[in-house]
Formats: sequence, C-alpha cells, structure tokens
Amino acid sequence: MTKESRVSIYFFAPAGIFMLIFLFFPVALLIRDSFFEIDMIGQGRGAFVGLSHYVDAIRSERFIGATTNTIIYVVVAVGFELILGLFFALLLNTAFKGHGIVRTIMLAPLMIAPLVSGLIWRFMLNNQFGIVNKLLYDFNITSSRHAIQWLSDERFSLFSTIIADIWLTTPFMMLVLLAGLQGISPTLYESSQIDGANKIQTFLYVTLPSLFPVMIVAVLIRTVDAARTFDIVWVLTQGGPSNSSEVLSTYMYKTLTRYGQVGESSAMAVMFILLLLAISSYFLFVMFKANKK
Amino acid sequence: MLSKPNVEVSNKSMLGRLFRKNNKNIIGIFTVVLALLFISPYIYIVLTSIKPSSDAISSSPTFFPRQLSLENYVTMFNQMPIIRYFLNSFTTASISTILAVFLGALAAYGLSRFSSKTGHAFLLLTLCVRMIPMISIAIPMYIIINVMGLIDTRIALIITYTAINVPFSIWLMIGFFNNIPKEFDEAARIDGCNVFSAFIKVILPVSLPGLATAAIFCFMLAWNDFLFALLLTSTNAKTATVGISEFLTAYNLDLGPMTAAAVSFSLPIMVFSILVQRYIVSGMTLGAVKE
Repeated sequence: MTKESRVSIYFFAPAGIFMLIFLFFPVALLIRDSFFEIDMIGQGRGAFVGLSHYVDAIRSERFIGATTNTIIYVVVAVGFELILGLFFALLLNTAFKGHGIVRTIMLAPLMIAPLVSGLIWRFMLNNQFGIVNKLLYDFNITSSRHAIQWLSDERFSLFSTIIADIWLTTPFMMLVLLAGLQGISPTLYESSQIDGANKIQTFLYVTLPSLFPVMIVAVLIRTVDAARTFDIVWVLTQGGPSNSSEVLSTYMYKTLTRYGQVGESSAMAVMFILLLLAISSYFLFVMFKANKK
Repeated sequence: MLSKPNVEVSNKSMLGRLFRKNNKNIIGIFTVVLALLFISPYIYIVLTSIKPSSDAISSSPTFFPRQLSLENYVTMFNQMPIIRYFLNSFTTASISTILAVFLGALAAYGLSRFSSKTGHAFLLLTLCVRMIPMISIAIPMYIIINVMGLIDTRIALIITYTAINVPFSIWLMIGFFNNIPKEFDEAARIDGCNVFSAFIKVILPVSLPGLATAAIFCFMLAWNDFLFALLLTSTNAKTATVGISEFLTAYNLDLGPMTAAAVSFSLPIMVFSILVQRYIVSGMTLGAVKE
C-alpha cells in the first residue's frame, strides 16, 4: 500500500468506525433479532424461531392493513405533490415581475418539521374548533359546522394525514422541478418554435421528456420519504380510529413500545427495508434506461 | 438604437409585447394569490398564537385575531419547562451537527484524494441509508441504547443523529472536494504543511459553502426529529418536538399554547432558512439535477 492511500484511510477511519458501530451494527442486530423470540422486560434473548415472525406478520390483518395504508398514502400524496409541484414550477418559470418573492414564500415551509405540519393540520381539521369545517360550512359546501369529522371518522382519517403531507412537501417538488425546468436548453424551445409547434405540443414533446429524469429522482426521493412517514400520522391520528390511518412506521412503533415485541417489530422492519430497496431499485432501473436512450 | 424603418410593424409588435406583458402580469398576480393561499395555514397558526386563548379554541374561529394577546405564550411557559426542551433540542442538534460534518469532511477528503471509485461506493451507501426507514434503525438503536444505559440522555440522541448524518455529510463533501484541484494540497505541502494541517488550513476554508450546506441539513434533521426523541427520551433529555406534542390532549383545551409552542419552534427556523436559502436549494437539488 502506498503512503498516500494509507493516509486516506486514516482520514476515513473515524467516520468509518462510527458508522460501523452505530449504523451497520444496528442493522445487523435488527436482522438477527427478527429470528428470535425476545422479551423486552427480562432483556433476555429467547428461542430461535426462524422465519415465524415474518410468516406471522404477513398473515396478520393489521400488518396487511398498515401496508395497504402506506401504499395509499404514498401514491396519493406523491401523485398530488407531483401535479401541484409541476404546476407551481411552471408558473414560477414564466419569470413575471416578483417571481423571486413568490419563490421565497413557497420555499418557506421547506424546512418546517413534519411534526409542525401535523400540529397545524390537527388544529385546522379539529372537529370542534377547526377552521376547515367552518369554511366549508360558510361556503355552503357542508350543511353543519361538524359535518366532517376529519380525524375521527374512519373514512377520512388517512386522507387527512395525506393533506398534511401534501402541504408540507409540495415546495420540495416545486423546487426540484423548477431547477429541472431551468436546466432545459433554450435551443430546444427555439427549434420546436421553428418547427411550428404550439404551446401544448411544446410542453408535451419538449418540456415533459426533458424533465423526465429529474421527475423520476424527485418522485423516488418523495416516495421513500412518504413511505417512512411517522411524525405526521402520529400527531394527527396515532393511526386511529380503529387502525384506519395506521401506516407501517406507526404500527412498528406500537409493536415495539406498547407490546414490547422486539422480534416481531424487527421482522417487519426488515421487510420494510427490503420493500423500499426493491421500489428504489426499480426507479433507478427506469432512470438508467431513460438515460441510455 | 436603430431608427424606425417601418412604423406599422413596430406598432404591431408593440401591441403584441403589451399583450404578452399583460399576460405575464396576470400569471404573476394569479401565482402570488396561490402562493399566499398555500402558505395561509402557517400564517393562520401564527395569528392564532397571538389570540386570547378563549378565541384560539372558539367554535366559530376567525382567520385574523379580534384581539391581540400573549396569553398562549405565557401558558406555554407555565405549563411545561419548554426552555429546557428547547435547550435539549439545540444542544443535541448542534453537537451532532459538528460531529457529523467534521467526521464527514475528514472521511470525504480521504476518499476524494484516494480514488473516485470509493466515492461512487459512498454515493450508493448514502442512497441505501436514505432508503432505510427511520423506524427500522430506531428499533435496534433502542435496544443498543438501552443496553448502554443511555436511555433518556442527550448523548443517546447525539449518537443517533450523528450516525444518520455522517453518510450524507460524506457524500456532500466528496462532491466539493473533488472540485478542488489537487494542486492546492501540493502547494500547501511544499509550504511545509503536513497532510492534516493542509486539510485544516487550506482545504476546509475553501470548502466553507459545502460545509455550510452539510451543516444546515444535519442540523435540520436533528432539530426536526420526533421519532428518536420520542423513543429514546422520557424526562431529562426530552426535546422540543416531544414537548410540543404533549400539548395535544384528549379534549383539545391546550390547543392555544400548542400553537404558541409550534410557532416558537418553527418561526426562527423559517426566518433562518429564508436567509440561507441559497445553501438549502443547492443541497436539495443536489443529485436530482445535474450541474
């Protein structure tokens, strides 16, 4: 080994050791724990149970329900965010007077904690004092001030958590797509104008295809983040009523803290990791194919 | 400037320009209205926090306060040791940020000067860490912290946040160091610096924008964290996010002080993030948009 590369290793070692202990070891522990019966109170490691935690989880109605809810949450939230984000990005890209100020306004929620977004919507969607129900009533959309029990009606609870997510992360989508739009070469637009394309054709055949790779990355990042959602759901509904807004993160949290089932929650966590890795590999594959073209 | 060769044509194009300009103004006004509408939930919370607490939980709420009052803020301070929670948030977030950025910068420097292949490996590792759901790390972390006897200590949170932030910090810094020519290091070495002092005295100062971006994101992750703080702390090390969430009671009577706490927690961050928007934008679009 050369002196140069040895020096490099010294530089890398502190971070490497830290990650080894507090990142890779926990993941390894997680995988091992998923095969054992573990009692939280006695702190003891019990019998090896093989894949039975995995089988139990897949067979349990609550796990399937939480997975379904997570998928609905991701698809609806990311779908709306993509459409709204693209809409705002296109508006901001027209460079009207004062677009800088609007951009700043739109980007202000970018760094707000998911928890705070949850609190804001918990307050606005409140059954008794919420302003959303009041506005719906004032505009004659609903017939009473308590018409929709946003957070305690099983039909709306999951939807309400999704609203808080869309509000919080549309600015991120807008920001990334705007950067993508500004990266499209003006010559592409010029040549489409020479070819006599109208605005809609230009959008469909120039803007969208050029934006596609950026869109894939933005959707991938948002999909992973939306799937991991915990704070928003916890603050708004804690997964209730009767598990109607239970997502994977909240279910695993309860399995660990309320029931003390380390083995069970570890098995679910491993499956969750595998699921997200599979989804992101698929996205990266699509992107790789698109880049090749 | 050219003289007007053809008055009619120039008039026509002027009309066209006027129309287009108007069009732009209409889009502009439309966008401003939409943006204000979009941000209104936050404005509503800020306005509610300065209403008298009876107005904050009125069954017929108004957007603007009818009367100003700091009652909600006073109740917030009286009801729980909120200052201690904020201090806990601040110390854990800042110490973990310093650790993650420093360890990350060291490692990234080593990797960027070693080989570009390891840099790619790190990109992959960062992506993988980003894919892992927080809850999946939280479960074994809970066990480890428990065994170490660190439950309800700020050290537990500092360790966790640093571990999560180090890969991101390495990845971000590799990009910056790769753009600094190796001649910089060589010049410093000729001037009598050793490898480490060249890094501290020459490389770090030129990469301040990168360090700032990394620090902002590391800090925000820790400051905004709720899951780990909820799981790993109970009284002594409780952070602001967990404290604020405790204003949510079954009968909603503390919603007024809750809005005050939420505003105190997020408004400084909002102002700060507007000030450093350049760094945030560069950090967020990194990876998504090729330069």
